[in-house]
Order: sequence, then structure tokens, then C-alpha cells
Amino acid sequence: MSQDVKLPLDYFKHTSLFWTDLLHLMSGKPIALTSVGPSRNWANDAKKVITELIDANDDLIDFNQRLIEYYKQLSETWIESQKKVNVKITTIPQDVESLEAYKRVWIDIFENDFTQLFDSEKFGENYGKLVSAELELSRHWESITNVILQSMKLPTRKEIDEVYKELHELRKRITKLEKNDEKINGK
Amino acid sequence: MENEIIDPKLMEEFLSFTKNVTEAPNLVPVPDEITLESTPFDVVYEQDKMRLLHYRPLVEKQTKTPFLISYAIINRFHILDIQQKKSWVRKLIESGIDVYMIDWGTPSNIDKYLDFDDYVNLYMDNCVDFVRKEAQVDNISVQGYCTGGTIATIYSTLHPKKVRNLVVTAPVIDGWKDTTVVSNMAKHMKIDMLVDTIGNMPPEFMYYCFSILKPFEQGLEKYYKFFKNIHDKEFVDNFLRIEKWLSDTPPIPGELFRQWMRDIYQENLLIQNKMYVGGKQINLKNITMPIFVQVAVGDHLVSPECSMPIYYAVSSEDKTMRVYPIGHVGMIASSFSQKQILPELCQWIKERS
Repeated sequence: MSQDVKLPLDYFKHTSLFWTDLLHLMSGKPIALTSVGPSRNWANDAKKVITELIDANDDLIDFNQRLIEYYKQLSETWIESQKKVNVKITTIPQDVESLEAYKRVWIDIFENDFTQLFDSEKFGENYGKLVSAELELSRHWESITNVILQSMKLPTRKEIDEVYKELHELRKRITKLEKNDEKINGK
Repeated sequence: MENEIIDPKLMEEFLSFTKNVTEAPNLVPVPDEITLESTPFDVVYEQDKMRLLHYRPLVEKQTKTPFLISYAIINRFHILDIQQKKSWVRKLIESGIDVYMIDWGTPSNIDKYLDFDDYVNLYMDNCVDFVRKEAQVDNISVQGYCTGGTIATIYSTLHPKKVRNLVVTAPVIDGWKDTTVVSNMAKHMKIDMLVDTIGNMPPEFMYYCFSILKPFEQGLEKYYKFFKNIHDKEFVDNFLRIEKWLSDTPPIPGELFRQWMRDIYQENLLIQNKMYVGGKQINLKNITMPIFVQVAVGDHLVSPECSMPIYYAVSSEDKTMRVYPIGHVGMIASSFSQKQILPELCQWIKERS
């Protein structure tokens, strides 16, 4: 992301977090008088969600830039291929018998040019970055979801992953024990 | 202005095609109603989501050594038995070979930590042990197709005494030599970030990879031909079966995918004998049993250059390699494979079983 875009975003993030924190601190004690307990966590949760949303904005810009580049590469290749087809078809007679030949030329040229594109360094690099940017957005979404899950006393994805990992290890261990048992008891 | 008259033949062609499109729903079955399993089998062993299928014999057995197929981790095993006339499995059975097949199943989130060690040393090894016990033999013949070929190769390096013959059909071996677009994408992927964020590799991602392989031939021409041949029952049946098979791709367990992309496509450790599975180094020189390498010249999923190095990397003295003028799927499910590839394979197996 270019510096001139990043700076206003950083400024916005800093300013909004400053006021969120300050208001939270300033109003903490008087509000505590009227709060009735756990629901007060919502203030902290809201702050986490806002932080994630602001950070996601950065990645959304990066994602959009990559996506534009992705479609640009596709459309440029399409235009170039069509130009080649236009040159080539002048040599094909314009009658119904040549319809198949025209189709073949069109497919062969497009297939060849697009395969070259997909096989190129520039496509691979941009596509890799596009997927990474998409993954960054997914991570922000996951963080926001985790905040909500925690507030509802539900397990987060990280906690579920720990369970999956433990189950995986257990399944492996049991199978090995069963195999050893078979060897010892000659089943 | 001069009046331009549309060629009547062109109009006829257009009207005929439109008629076919309109009539299509009345002529062809709903893909969901098509059953892909054509040769009868029994599920003889199960572990987690993996199943071991044993095909019922159609003729008297002519070999003592059973034949176990390790299918790929992309798409499902049905392509090897897609229809009677093009069934890889049926041809083997009709030749008197006792055929088993591993169906890896459909992993869910709980299976995200399954890796090469689980597929090779747990699932496949348990299947091999089961088959050995059932047939009362010390070792069996193993075939691996595509990514299943890689699993079968790794298995054979770690458990060489249990493998009598190894057949690898378009295996993924030398990632750096792969010239397909899949390899280009794999090289630019932040694989750790991908797996850590989404866990299992979703089918949608696989569909994207397939879509860029031959976008116009597969994405347009194929469907044009389908509607053009809508009255040809055999063509339509074959088309729908393949389409249904293509659209049934299970997710790939995250850890397996991570190791696959990193060790084979990005760092190319397998062919350099530097890959580790279950804490053990994989050395292709451990493969000393007879090996048959099958490669397709027109393979746009696993290029021949990616598969062929296994022929030169193993220690086997009895080794055969065949390069066929066909594509990745055509090699296992086509009239060509029935007439050329399978008779040769069956002969090779029988001579060594």
C-alpha cells in the first residue's frame, strides 16, 4: 500500500482508538455505578472489534489492488487474443462449413495465450499475493468472531483446534497400541 | 444499402443447436441421479473416514498376489470405475487380478491434522496389512494414481518388504520439473498462512485450479459438444459421469496439503531424498521391487517431466516405463487405456504375481 493512503488510515486508527480508550477511562467509574456486571465487557469487546475493522481496512485496500491487477491481466490477455483471432480469421472462408475452423482457431489462440499467462511469473506472484490478502481479511473476520464467541462463553477456533489436535494424537496412539496388541497376542 | 442474407446452413445449425439445448432436460438424467460405482465391491476395512474396497471377482483368479490401488487425494476413486466399457478396475478383475482400492473418504475439520505420516504409515499400512492377512501373502502389488502415486511411492520406500510390485501412474515426484500451471501457483503460495488460516484445503480452491488448466477447451468447447451430441446416449452418459466425478472433490487435510505443497512443489525434497515422513527420511533408492511407471504426454495436471524422474531414482533392476499419447484422465478412463494401457499392465502384473 502506498504511503499517502496508509498515513491517513493510521491517523484515523490512532485518533479513534485514543478517544475510545480515553472515554472508556473517563467514564469508567461513574458508569460502573450503573452497570450490573458482565455486560460491561461489551465495552472492551467493542474496542477489539473496532480495532480489527480498522486493521481490516488496510488489507481490504491491498486485496482490492491485487484483485484489480488480477482482472487487468485477464482482460489484457483477452484483448490480445481477440486481436490475434481477428487477424487469423481473415484467412478462413466466411461460410457455415468454416464455422468449426473459426471456433478451433478461437479456442486454440485463447487457450494458448491464457495458459501462457497462468504459467507466467507475474500471474503467479499477483495471484499468490491476492490469496494472501484474502487470507488476511479472513483472519480479521476470525478475530472478530472470536471476540463474539468468547463473550458468549463459547470455544474459539484456536480452542477447537487444540481439541482436534489432541483427538488426532489420541487416534494415532490408539491405533499404534492396537497394532502392538495384535502383534503381542498374535491376533 | 446492400441486403445481407444469412447463410441458410448457418441458420439451420443455429436452430438445431437451440433445439438441442431446449430438449436437453427431457433427454438426459439429472446428474445427481447417476450412480458412479459400476463394479460391485465390499467394504472390507474401515478406519476413521478411510474405506478399503474389495472388488468382487468376475472370473477365476489368475494371480496369487492381490493388487491394491491407492487412489489420489483429489477427486474420488470413481474415475477408475466410471463406466463398464472404460473401467480400469473391471479390466483388471476380468484379467483375473484380485483388486482392492483405498477410498480416502471425505475429510472434515476434525481431520485437519492428518498428514503424510497418517496416510502412509497408518491408513495405507493398515490396508496393506489387512490385504496381506486376507490373502495370506507376505507382500502385495501396489498401484498409485496421481497424488496416490506419490503416497504409494513413499509407502514403498518405508515398507519395501510389503510391496511385491509397484505401479505408478502419473505420480507427482519432481515438483520443480512440473511445467503445469498448478506448479506455478503452488510456488507463489504462502502455504503456512493458507493452512493456518483455513485449515483443510476446500474443494472450491481445487475447482479454481482445475478451471485454469484448459479454460476454453474445458469451460466452453466441452459443453458445446455436450449439447451438440445430446441425442447420442453413450456420449451423454459418459459426459455426465465425468462431470459428476469432477464436481465431487473432497477437501484435502490441511497438514497433508501443507507438506505436499512445501516438500514437493516448493522445496522439491522427495526426488532429492530429503523428505521426512513420520520422522523417517524418504530414500527412493529403497525401492528395489519391480516398478512400472506410466506417464501421459498430454498430461496437463502432472507433466511427464514431473513423473518420469522416479524411473531413474529407484534401485529396482526390473523397471519399465511407458509414455502414452493421451492425457491425465484419458490414461485411466478411456477406450485407449482399455485397448493399449491396461492389456500391457495386466500382462506385466501377471508375470510378476
